[in-house]
Amino acid sequence: MMIPELGHIFLVIGFALSLLLAVVPLVGLRMQDAQLTQTGPLFATLLFAVTLLSFLCLTYAFLTDDFSVLYVANNSNSQLPYYYKITAVWGGHEGSFLLWLLILSGWTVAFSWLSDHLPADYRARILAVLGWVSIGFYLFITILSSPFERTLPYFPVDGADLNPLLQDPGMIIHPPLLYMGYVGFAVVFAFAMAALMTGRLDASWAKWSRPWTLAAWAFLTLGITIGSWWAYNELGWGGWWFWDPVENASFMPWLVGTALLHSLAVTDQRGAFKAWTVLLAISAFSLSLLGTFLVRSGVIVSVHAFATDPGRGLFILVLLALVIGISLTYFAARADNLRHTTKFHFLSREVALWLNNVFFSAATLIVLLGTLMPLFYKESGLGTISIGEPFFNEMFTYLVVPFAILLGIGPLMRWKKNGISKKTAMLLLVAVASVVLSYAWLLLRGQGIEGLALLGVSLAVWVFALTGFQLFRFFQQTGSLVKIKRSHWAMLVGHFGFAAAVLGISMTMNYSDERDVRMLVGDVVNIQGIDLKLNAVRDLNGPNYSGLVADITAIQGNAKYSILAEKRFYKARGMIMTEAGVHANLARDVYVALGEQLDSGSWVLRIYYKPLIRWIWLGGILIALAGFIAILDPRYRRWKVKSRATVSTVEAEHATP
Amino acid sequence: MQLRKIAFILPLLTFAIVSVYLYSALYSDPRAKESSLLNRTVPDFQLNDLMDPTRQYKVKDLKGEVTLLNIWGVWCTTCKAELGFLTKLKEELGLRIIGIYYPLDVDPDLDGPLDLAKLTNNVDKTLKAYGNPYQFNMLDIEHQLSFDLGVTGAPETFVIDKHGVVRAHHMGDINPRVWQIKLAALVQQLKEEE
Repeated sequence: MMIPELGHIFLVIGFALSLLLAVVPLVGLRMQDAQLTQTGPLFATLLFAVTLLSFLCLTYAFLTDDFSVLYVANNSNSQLPYYYKITAVWGGHEGSFLLWLLILSGWTVAFSWLSDHLPADYRARILAVLGWVSIGFYLFITILSSPFERTLPYFPVDGADLNPLLQDPGMIIHPPLLYMGYVGFAVVFAFAMAALMTGRLDASWAKWSRPWTLAAWAFLTLGITIGSWWAYNELGWGGWWFWDPVENASFMPWLVGTALLHSLAVTDQRGAFKAWTVLLAISAFSLSLLGTFLVRSGVIVSVHAFATDPGRGLFILVLLALVIGISLTYFAARADNLRHTTKFHFLSREVALWLNNVFFSAATLIVLLGTLMPLFYKESGLGTISIGEPFFNEMFTYLVVPFAILLGIGPLMRWKKNGISKKTAMLLLVAVASVVLSYAWLLLRGQGIEGLALLGVSLAVWVFALTGFQLFRFFQQTGSLVKIKRSHWAMLVGHFGFAAAVLGISMTMNYSDERDVRMLVGDVVNIQGIDLKLNAVRDLNGPNYSGLVADITAIQGNAKYSILAEKRFYKARGMIMTEAGVHANLARDVYVALGEQLDSGSWVLRIYYKPLIRWIWLGGILIALAGFIAILDPRYRRWKVKSRATVSTVEAEHATP
Repeated sequence: MQLRKIAFILPLLTFAIVSVYLYSALYSDPRAKESSLLNRTVPDFQLNDLMDPTRQYKVKDLKGEVTLLNIWGVWCTTCKAELGFLTKLKEELGLRIIGIYYPLDVDPDLDGPLDLAKLTNNVDKTLKAYGNPYQFNMLDIEHQLSFDLGVTGAPETFVIDKHGVVRAHHMGDINPRVWQIKLAALVQQLKEEE
């Protein structure tokens, strides 16, 4: 069978197509040849088609257990269930990079199909920029990192199996979602570059690029949320965020992306913050690329990192330097053309959104410094330092307090002028009520009052109350929940999501309880008023693993739940994995991890009580949902009809330079 | 306006500086932490004797003589395998070898208190069976010294000069080949130093 070779050939064709996509539309623009200028969508479609075919070739190799392909031999096993064989396609470096390319070409083709309302020159430039970005990555995968390399002539009888950590439903969707986000910022980046090339950046630019930004950002939000949930279930430490360098690498584009969304709102509505918006658009994609580099070059040690050689790292670094270097040089040279002359009051919404950007930028810098500082230290010969959770947690506590206060007030402010002073009394009342309510609730819960928890819960209540107040006002204005604009709904849902996450984080961090116990079958332990009884420990037989499962009954008041905590031994890799047993509801998680059996016959169990931890992911999902709601706002479609009329004038303008 | 222009160059400059570091990091081993201890004095410590908990050692007990500091445990098969050759080094060269005993299962939450009697019994049996190269063994019960030394596993061996300075760090077992290629000349040279 020659399927793997075919897959490789498709990638080589992909490289050629990305060259065409990068060059031909620009040549068409230069020669004022309308036909050449409009070839972008064709090349984009073909590029996506060959990448998809190549991806299917690799999937086929996995499903047919073709261990003569090195990548398949390293990441699959004949005993692996078929659904994990499919996800194993992106379980290692080479395959996940192919997924990266598939998604990049997917975004490119989606843009080319959905952009016929854009001025032709703009569309051509954006597609060309995406082509230039593609060139480097297709070159990388065909030369240095092909997933189709053969083990011939001495191929193994069976594969080494997919890393057991990755054999989890969360892992099926986590990387694709994350890449959808990372790579989606490429489109936004291309928009920014096109704006710098032409010097044209107006309200319509912001309107065109907003849905793309929203889409990428919403996927990234979902990806990060699911990643956090996966780590919680799979790593057995009961943690949901570890400030691991690779987590940070995905968090930075998210922070910048969130800033960009808000800054785009100002550019869209008021024509201000133009240069800053462009810089954020460039930064979001640059930080995505930096994340790719950090994960794949081996410069940092992390649970996520792929083992790889410096040759690959160097190639990605050169790509990184070219993409980011060229775009920032362009920015330095051209950003001055993007003037704005709007004026606004000190207490206006513009200033609130500007402050929002200050907070998000500060947060990004903190994460960036915290992630890279150990590396700077070591490379400067200053010895080693490690920057861990305490640093990030402390810095984020400082940031989130003023930020949450602002988030409550900001949306109540008005464009240009001061409309908030009149509401001072109401705001003070809400502030006092938030603290009092939170205090009373914590007192009633009966786990005592922790200062930081009180602070966090009060902030969540504050944001929740003021966002609820806005919902009420929108309702008053429109007279019906359905008539409230989607973009307004998006803002409300997103801010509710933020409040939910803050609530979950403050409660989990301050009131979690943890027990390490040894239990004989039949023993009962109590954690935070919940009785846990160990009924039995049974043998377990999975398709590619064996193991033990502890059968536990949790009794809380009158309610009874069953909890199954597994310990799996994956044969092919000889790895032991903890599959925690969790009983979850909105009030708390009970989380049980099974340990060793002792000589005495008793079992070691680690039990966690995590109050309101679900609210963290609920918040993440709401925030992502907000992004998707915003994309559906009809103004992105209604506007499309209106714009048709302006296209010709813009083209005419451009034809006579 | 000039200021505005300079501000626009800042992102590029920042990125340029970051790239230089990323480039240099590409060619250095992220796991090479332990090398930072090379040519530095062994960090301060205070550990009990493995066999006799009433005796305590400090960093000054390592000084005055060229010493091999060997990290080991009875749970570690490779450690047992090198005991024979280490004993030969001690006997033939009169080299001082001090053990840092690295116990497993010492999480006070999960494993309970260390059963010292059982452990010393095991150690005794192992040393009788394979040879005893050690002048004495220190029990690194909290893994603190091992951590400070940048130990990544067992067996590992540090060559310490007369002033208590780390001069070499070897990961893995010491066998005749490793000894000849990597350590013999160094130890000889350190012995001749003042």
